[in-house]
Amino acid sequence: MATNYAVEVEGLHKWFRIYPGPFQRIVEGLSLGRIKGHREFSALRDINFKLKPGSSIGLCGANGAGKSTLLKILAGTTSPSAGRYRINGKVSSLLELGAGFHSDFTGRANIMMNGIMMGASKEEMERLTPEIIDFAELGDYIDEPVRTYSSGMGLRLGFSVAMAVDPDVMLIDEVFAVGDMYFQKKCVDKIYELKKRNKTIAFCSHSLYDVRQLCDEALWLRDGDPAALGDSVSVTNEYTVWQRNHIDEEAEHLSESEAGAVSKRREELSNAPEVLDARVYHPQSGEERYEYQTGDDMEIRVWWRNPKPEQNPINLAVGFVYPDMTTVAGMLTHIDGFKLEGSEGCTSVHCSKLNLLSNQFLVAVILFDGEGTHQYQKYLIRENLSIRHGTKDVGMVLVDHHWNNRPEIALPTGSGARIREANVDGTQGHSSGEDGGW
Amino acid sequence: MSAHKQSEPGAQASSIDPSTSAGGEILDSGAHAVEGWVTAAPPRWMEIALHILMAPRLLVRHWDLIKTSVWRELQARFTGTVLGWAWPLLTPVLMFLIYYFIFTNLLSSKMPDLPPELDSVVGIYMFTGVLVWTAFAESITRGTNVIVENGNLIKKVAFPTEILPLNLVLVNLVTMAFGLAMFLLACLVLPIWPAQNPLDLCWVPLLLLLQAIFSYGVTLVLATMQVYLRDTMQVVAVAATVWMFITPIFWVPEFIPDMPETMLEFVRVNPMYHLLYSWRVVLMSETPDVIFNGDMQTSLGIFALWALGSFVFGYGFFLAARRRFADEI
Repeated sequence: MATNYAVEVEGLHKWFRIYPGPFQRIVEGLSLGRIKGHREFSALRDINFKLKPGSSIGLCGANGAGKSTLLKILAGTTSPSAGRYRINGKVSSLLELGAGFHSDFTGRANIMMNGIMMGASKEEMERLTPEIIDFAELGDYIDEPVRTYSSGMGLRLGFSVAMAVDPDVMLIDEVFAVGDMYFQKKCVDKIYELKKRNKTIAFCSHSLYDVRQLCDEALWLRDGDPAALGDSVSVTNEYTVWQRNHIDEEAEHLSESEAGAVSKRREELSNAPEVLDARVYHPQSGEERYEYQTGDDMEIRVWWRNPKPEQNPINLAVGFVYPDMTTVAGMLTHIDGFKLEGSEGCTSVHCSKLNLLSNQFLVAVILFDGEGTHQYQKYLIRENLSIRHGTKDVGMVLVDHHWNNRPEIALPTGSGARIREANVDGTQGHSSGEDGGW
Repeated sequence: MSAHKQSEPGAQASSIDPSTSAGGEILDSGAHAVEGWVTAAPPRWMEIALHILMAPRLLVRHWDLIKTSVWRELQARFTGTVLGWAWPLLTPVLMFLIYYFIFTNLLSSKMPDLPPELDSVVGIYMFTGVLVWTAFAESITRGTNVIVENGNLIKKVAFPTEILPLNLVLVNLVTMAFGLAMFLLACLVLPIWPAQNPLDLCWVPLLLLLQAIFSYGVTLVLATMQVYLRDTMQVVAVAATVWMFITPIFWVPEFIPDMPETMLEFVRVNPMYHLLYSWRVVLMSETPDVIFNGDMQTSLGIFALWALGSFVFGYGFFLAARRRFADEI
């Protein structure tokens, strides 16, 4: 079965049988299916996609759109109702945190149990356990029963085990939500590492940001139908647009009592400020450009709309973000004391003499409320910013600097363990480090 | 598009080696596979038959999982108790003492025409019966719910689900083996019963194996039924009690006065009769002769057929139904 794909899904359908009660089930069973006692609920319809090794797909869509069902089918815990799929290589899935954890046993015992359940051998798990414990960072808790763990700790343990069995194809349902930021970052790093090692990832998340970040491709599921499939940025943008417009559609087939709530929400939504577009321009030539040298000037233009500026003043933030989600720099109007005026318009931020060093950057635009506490919208600029530098500087940013030789300055008292006996004249006064340059 | 840090050369490969076992997973996952494709078609008869034939291979491949789960289950039973691991040893001893003293001394229910050193025969007879029956009954009653009980696990983790009822059967056999060991030891050092013939003891592994296969087959059927029909568990609880009384555990068919031959034949349809008879031949050193007038090998043969039949049917039934477990629980 030589194939170039890690995952192939062809015309996959899934429907569930719903029985009104146990009696209908018996009748159907005894009649060998001639009397139908169930109705069918269709959860997935005609899903097709192919993934090359090393690529990743993000599944997005509302609750109940079939994201988890699709992952479960691929994981092999439930079977398709029509169509077929094929996975080349070893599959590991993280469909639920701590599934298979026994709460009375210690973290250590659960690592062993869980790993073996995922198909690793005992020897393999014995070898991997120190690494898993190391990655999970549970400290002394590793020898405590799992029932004493917080949900975040459970996530850490579950994620660590799932990653350690070294799958070729990794299926991850929305599980990051509970972890703290630090561990989320660690998970994301780990997923990048997997990608670099040519592993394939299918990932389901409500966070479109994560989908854009982690996935090359995205599949948007709408009530079981594949609404869009393509590169992750355009699919997630399409989804966001639909989410905004969908509210009208929703109102049509709702009862009157619900319609009230919907129209209120629609009003809220139509009054909600939004970013219409954002692009990066080269100020000297005035053309849209995404490749710059360190030291160049750059201008980011943001088109926005705010129907009720008096009631909801807004603020903008523009940030440069590494692909691993580290924010490198952020510029915020409310910090700078800049006011956005009018109910619609374009605001630009001019960055002179860029001091970012070579890397790919995502440019994120965030729309805040007047206080800068609530985020209305997070908008990612379609294209990534690519910055190069010709010098041999290292690190993330170029710091404006120059070097001096200063032989006349003495060592401050109390610095270091080994103080030289010479040239202490007692006139140093208070240490300059203490009065806080910051 | 590539949105990833390209600047770092190569992956910081962790020390995890790529795993070796890639193939064969499809077979275990219960899905029907042609050239690696998992389709919606239900498993065909041939595939189920093949799967049943391959059961020993499955056992070997998942031995670590089985071993660890059985160990975990045993641990869960005894850790946290004050006496801990003394319990599996203590339980059969207490049970034995109860049967020995109540039936030998208090009720002085003695069998007719027996020499005084065999006074304890009724106590021993009941003890062996209860020991074997308990292991079987626990397996089928608790096993009925084992798939439903582990529903969340089955939905979320892909693993061979047939391991779940197997674990339960094995846990009960291990507990029973503790009892057997204590009993054999007691017979060896205490003058309660003539020590067993070492040659007879050679049957023990075979008896355990057949009992395991039979219990497993029955449990698989019941556990599968329970998924689709939750009344199964209630029915099993009642049926197990009825089964217990029609099986010669507390009574000796040979000693029931005026038992018609047809009735006796009915008793012998029961596979558990044959299992108990075989166990007792070994454990009671074929003493007294009045009880052991049958042929052990015949009984064992009949039970072996039952075991094989129940396993093939049970496993086949389970495999045919399994693909919809996750949707039903």
